[in-house]
Amino acid sequence: MLVAWKYRPRNTFIQRLDPRTRLIFLFCVIFGVSIPEIWDYRIVLPLFLVSLTLYLMARIAWKDVKRVWTYILILVVFIVGLNALLSARGGPSSVTNIVSPVIFTVPLKIPFTQLGWDIPVTVSKIWFSFNQMFRMLTMTLLAIPIPYTIDPNIYGTAFRQMGASDKVSFTMDLAFRFLPTFARDFSITMDAQRARGYELESMEGGIFSRIRRLAPLIIPVVMQSTVTGEEVIDAMDLRAFGTNRRTWLKDLKYAPRDYLILGLGIFIFVGCCVLRWGFGVGGYFVPDFFTNLFL
Amino acid sequence: MSTHPLVIENLTFKYRTRPENAIENISLELKQGELLLIAGASGCGKSTLARCINGLIPRSYRGERRGKVLLHGKDVADLQIAEVAQTVGSLLQDPERQIVASNVFNEVAFGPENLGLPRGEIVERVDQALKRLNIEYLRDRETFNLSGGEKQKVALAGVLTMNPSILLLDEPLASLDPASAHEALEVFRSLADEGKTIVLIEHRVEDAIAIKPDRLLYMEGGKIQYLGAIDNLPKEIDYTQVKLPATWVVQRVKELNQAAETPTPLAVEERGEPLVVFEDVDFRYDEELPFVLKDVNLKIYAGDLIAVLGPNGAGKSTLVKHAIGLLKPTSGRVLVEGKDTRKMSVAQIARALGYVFQSPTHMLYAPTVREELEFGPKNLKYDSAEISKFVNESLSSVNLEEFVEYPPLALSFGQQKRTTIAAVLAMRSKILVMDEPTAGQDFANYTHFMNALCQPSDGAQSILSANFAATLFITHDVDLAVTYANRALVFGDKRIIADGKPQDVLKDTELLLKYRIRPTSLLKLNLDLLPKTGKFLPAEALAAYAS
Repeated sequence: MLVAWKYRPRNTFIQRLDPRTRLIFLFCVIFGVSIPEIWDYRIVLPLFLVSLTLYLMARIAWKDVKRVWTYILILVVFIVGLNALLSARGGPSSVTNIVSPVIFTVPLKIPFTQLGWDIPVTVSKIWFSFNQMFRMLTMTLLAIPIPYTIDPNIYGTAFRQMGASDKVSFTMDLAFRFLPTFARDFSITMDAQRARGYELESMEGGIFSRIRRLAPLIIPVVMQSTVTGEEVIDAMDLRAFGTNRRTWLKDLKYAPRDYLILGLGIFIFVGCCVLRWGFGVGGYFVPDFFTNLFL
Repeated sequence: MSTHPLVIENLTFKYRTRPENAIENISLELKQGELLLIAGASGCGKSTLARCINGLIPRSYRGERRGKVLLHGKDVADLQIAEVAQTVGSLLQDPERQIVASNVFNEVAFGPENLGLPRGEIVERVDQALKRLNIEYLRDRETFNLSGGEKQKVALAGVLTMNPSILLLDEPLASLDPASAHEALEVFRSLADEGKTIVLIEHRVEDAIAIKPDRLLYMEGGKIQYLGAIDNLPKEIDYTQVKLPATWVVQRVKELNQAAETPTPLAVEERGEPLVVFEDVDFRYDEELPFVLKDVNLKIYAGDLIAVLGPNGAGKSTLVKHAIGLLKPTSGRVLVEGKDTRKMSVAQIARALGYVFQSPTHMLYAPTVREELEFGPKNLKYDSAEISKFVNESLSSVNLEEFVEYPPLALSFGQQKRTTIAAVLAMRSKILVMDEPTAGQDFANYTHFMNALCQPSDGAQSILSANFAATLFITHDVDLAVTYANRALVFGDKRIIADGKPQDVLKDTELLLKYRIRPTSLLKLNLDLLPKTGKFLPAEALAAYAS
């Protein structure tokens, strides 16, 4: 189910930033960590702290984001964390190549057979899964506040002034509002079908019959979205969208604080690249203090 | 060449996907400042005509177009869409579908922004339009949170900023409560007086003639049946197709010397144990939000056919959602057949109470009408012999037998609506609850639909009395309460303001106006004739009593 969010003006440093600054900074961190493949906790941890500081500065009330964080934490811990722990894929090959003490093994068996694998969990894998989770959190901490703290009226302008075309920019603008609409339609349909005795909780049967049982929810919502989409197109045509180069009423201007944050973003991106490729620092290794914990 | 703002010559259009012409040989001329009312039942071609005028035909809809549509002497097909948009301003049926921006200022500025005008000029035009419609106070509001009437004014302001000389209004009253509809009409009149040429498409002729359109164009089957002055009750207009003032209908029925139809027998009043009870119900969505319901007390008995009236957004839907258990009271309790809804699942309540949502597109999903109808009874775990019996019976009740293997989504809107009723009928609930049963349907269709539900035919009972112990419907159409209900509730200020027989509740004009319900000509005529009739009757039946 989709999470509807609510923008509210707050008088915070974060919210006074230009939306472009926020987006560019987010991309600097994502690309800084992922392109040069930074796995060194001495870089990941400070970046995490920077993100956490910026997140806290946005002063979003916990109850507003509780549900989103629940989903994100489930995703990060169970999917990213467990996957990293068990398979150690999705990272550098050195995670599994390093000779590292085995702490315990997880026997994965197909039920009622002898087929399966014993998966050794090494110190290296544990360290890797921690690392992976912190990298993900560093990025999500920057991304989550965006819908809560950027005025929905200036998404389009922000993309336009970052160089996207009129059409792409307005598409982004609409897309951000399509989600709450979708969520609203979904809840109306859910109510309508429950009134006909439909219960999501009591689904029985195998995976395919379960998917079939979702049809009463999915089909009306998809139909509704398609119809809405067509109507939006007509409404935009009738008001001459796409015929001229568009004037965007709102004009965004960078303030000194924006240059500060943009500078920090570029510093992070360039710094990660230089450390990794120039000095060979930032790759994967297991620090001795961590290995010693298990010995 | 004529320099009238709008000239249509021998216009014929056929959609690529359909065999017959949607409109045929339409010709008309409109002068500056003229207000033309176009009326007709759905499928009469009025929306196609609108699309020809605003250029969506031939741009967005493919087909064969013959004849001419001239805007200030130039054919719409030869103009750029930007030029058309600055000549013809279109207001669509549902303002919610027209609004594309998230706040009012951006929404109103959207058109001029697209034209690439300088910022200063855009701001000036926006401020002018907001001022013209007296909605400056909405300038910084989010479009999402506006009321229906406010949304429509904002959509209209967005059209006015393009400085069009022609305004094309396609059923602009459809989603408004009666008081907002009346306000909107006054605005249209004053715009015409200022020199805009206005094409108003509306099947609620009764409401539209209040602002004295200069001419009326009545269409049937894609052709013009009547085009001319409106004051002399043109004979060409079929009173069963569009909503005319009750006095006109009475006069027409007398002229035609038709036998007055049998007055609707009101369901017999039965008292006894109430089926649904609201006890001191308060409700709010969240502790921080204001109450939506406060001290609501209501008992629904067998034999009730209740119309719930009240302004849009007053909480009528919130009220009835409590009866099916989709919402549970914050304090107080709701009992369905003596059991507290807090202790029952929605599915359990559904066995007693069937709820038909406003929009069929929110619930129809199955590949065939039969499967759609089987959905509810299967969920309630009826056995299969029962299910097929219930499905067949409910299909015949709503006259949909021939469509049993059709996909519901391919049916017309009215048929879809009947499918949703049948889907609830098949569940064999005792109580039927309908949210705006007539929304989205035109006059001819909803009259047909409501007659089929409420009126007995060939000596048999009506669908409602044969299948349900009690019925409750929400509406903002006073005439539905007058014609079909035997009990009327006025809901406003979070509580039930009035509850009783329609003739007792609806005679208090002051109260009605306070809750944005405008007395209609049918209500007035019924009140005048009440000493003779003793009860409310549909307009045709009143002919026998009117002098």
